[in-house]
Amino acid sequence: MNKLYLWGIIITVLMLLFTYISVAGSEGGLNDDIVNMLAITGAVALVLITVFVVIKYVRQMQVDSATGDLADENWDGIGEYKNEVPTGWAITFLLTMIWGMWYWTVGYPVNSYSQIGEYNEDTAAHNAKFEAQYKDITGDRLVEMGESVFLAECKVCHGINADGIDGKAANLNIRIDASSVKHVIENGSNNQLLGFAMPMPDRNGLMNANAGYAPITDAEIEKVSAYVANGMTGEGADVYAGTCAMCHGADGTGVDSMGPNIKKFDTALVTNVLNFGKKGSIGAMPKFERLNAKQKEAVGAYITSLSE
Amino acid sequence: MFHWLEKHPFFFAVGVFLVISFAGLVEILPNFAQQSRPVIGTAPYSTLELAGRHVYIANSCNACHSQLIRPFKSETDRYGHYSLSGEYAYDRPFLWGSKRTGPDLMRVGNYRTTDWHENHMKDPAGVVPGSIMPAYRWMFTNAADIDTAFAEQLTIAEFFSVPYNKPIPMKDGSTKIVKMGGSVAEANALALAEAKLIAADMKDQDVKDAVANGEIPEIVAIIAYLNSLK
Ligand code: HEC
Ligand code: HEC
Ligand code: HEC
Repeated sequence: MNKLYLWGIIITVLMLLFTYISVAGSEGGLNDDIVNMLAITGAVALVLITVFVVIKYVRQMQVDSATGDLADENWDGIGEYKNEVPTGWAITFLLTMIWGMWYWTVGYPVNSYSQIGEYNEDTAAHNAKFEAQYKDITGDRLVEMGESVFLAECKVCHGINADGIDGKAANLNIRIDASSVKHVIENGSNNQLLGFAMPMPDRNGLMNANAGYAPITDAEIEKVSAYVANGMTGEGADVYAGTCAMCHGADGTGVDSMGPNIKKFDTALVTNVLNFGKKGSIGAMPKFERLNAKQKEAVGAYITSLSE
Repeated sequence: MFHWLEKHPFFFAVGVFLVISFAGLVEILPNFAQQSRPVIGTAPYSTLELAGRHVYIANSCNACHSQLIRPFKSETDRYGHYSLSGEYAYDRPFLWGSKRTGPDLMRVGNYRTTDWHENHMKDPAGVVPGSIMPAYRWMFTNAADIDTAFAEQLTIAEFFSVPYNKPIPMKDGSTKIVKMGGSVAEANALALAEAKLIAADMKDQDVKDAVANGEIPEIVAIIAYLNSLK
């Protein structure tokens, strides 16, 4: 027998053996799963076809000799047979060229796939699903959603425990700290906390009605800041009542269109901070256009829940 | 036909030329499309921002950060609107990047602030526990190279008609003018004026002092650049 066939048989056997060992030896291994069986059949077929084709061509190289008419021209003695291009090959080649022309001139420009179109559809579908699924959630579920929004968007600045990471951003476990209140009284504030531009005056515009409408003094600022930061308890109650209550309400929970809630967080306040951003004594907080209304409401509920 | 072509090198060359020029056209023509013109609201970089961009490139931030938001909902939720080709009109070279070890920075100016960048560049793990981004402490002392940034501005204004000192339409219908100095001294003065605004929002006293003394540390320039990415 020709040595070639002998080698073919040896290699086939080795490859089949290797296939068997690697399949049987792996997790899952040889089982009745149809996909598994198909894959193994494919592997065996591949081995047989490979060996068969290789033998055929090696054999051809061994025994074939060139035939056909030589072309007239030659290059430094190297000539060329005038063999026809194989029919199948020629047809495929021509078809490819025709398809290419069609694709460039008609196919792509006319029925082109649009990635942006798919994106728009995706987004619309997702938004509709979100709307349907979460439209009516309240209470704990709203707070839960708020927590996940917080962890995704806010923790890089406010910290995973919302403590502001050592003063790098506001500590959201309390409504506000005394130094921030002091800063607001001394410098005023214009952050659209009410949802529209309604600045709070600085100390020159803050008069204490309980002290004959005199501008607020350093000592009063100290006291009232501590009073506000302690959740409306402590010494500064009379300064607060005389100076701040008309805009922030007697209990500090805010007056419509006059002053925001400075006793507790509420959803309206957080939503306004998210819509317009905020710049204060601690630093700057960016606005968040990419959150939708429900997400803002949810994160508002979450933050409100932190200091309750 | 192939046989014929092989025997007629001139026509063969013409054929090759045609095929290659077609491929060239396909690549070049789209650059003239309206979509590749600067998008409304895209303005050239100011001197300080450009200096910051040089710091960004010099420190290979683009090896870990891309600047290209793809049109997938998961990306636009996180980073904002997908990128448009016209938004890169003044990026030479563009910094798309090909790997995201860190997040995309195409619009980081929308959701991070000066003081946050300051903390983060000084000690990334201090604000993002477990962050593998390196700290860039030397940027707080090294001086930014304003002269080179100005030289680049002059060049691109001259050769690529980048519209410095000209009104540029903004999204809200207003116009904005990005100034370029007429001399090195003027460019440095413009950059310093911009640096003062950034330093006012920073906490590091050494940086504040340096800017007050007329120096511009790299950190100020790179924050100006990051804030401009919107
Ligand atoms: C004229 C009305 C008015 C008076 C008087 C007033 N405030 Fe305000 N206050 C406001 C407004 C309006 C805002 C919201 C400003 C903004 O949008 O940034 C505000 C904001 C604040 C804030 C900031 C809240 C936050 O979340 O950052 C604090 C703290 C505050 N006020 C405390 C006080 C104290 C303490 C006093 C009394 C000494 C006082 N205010 C007096 C109108 C007033
Ligand atoms: C880039 C950093 C950054 C990110 C991100 C950030 N914040 Fe803030 N935030 C701040 C800073 C800084 C302050 C303090 C501002 C000041 O000086 O009063 C603040 C303040 C606040 C306040 C207090 C406002 C007040 O009136 O007292 C709330 C509420 C708040 N952030 C909510 C959020 C929520 C919710 C998110 C996520 C959706 C968020 N923040 C993301 C930096 C950030
Ligand atoms: C080794 C890779 C690496 C290099 C180099 C690198 N970063 Fe980062 N960067 C990260 C990783 C990881 C994060 C995410 C964790 C974090 O916020 O610290 C990140 C986060 C950031 C963020 C926050 C983005 C966001 O959406 O929260 C900014 C801004 C940033 N890098 C800027 C830079 C700049 C500017 C440089 C060059 C001076 C730089 N990075 C170089 C890996 C890198």
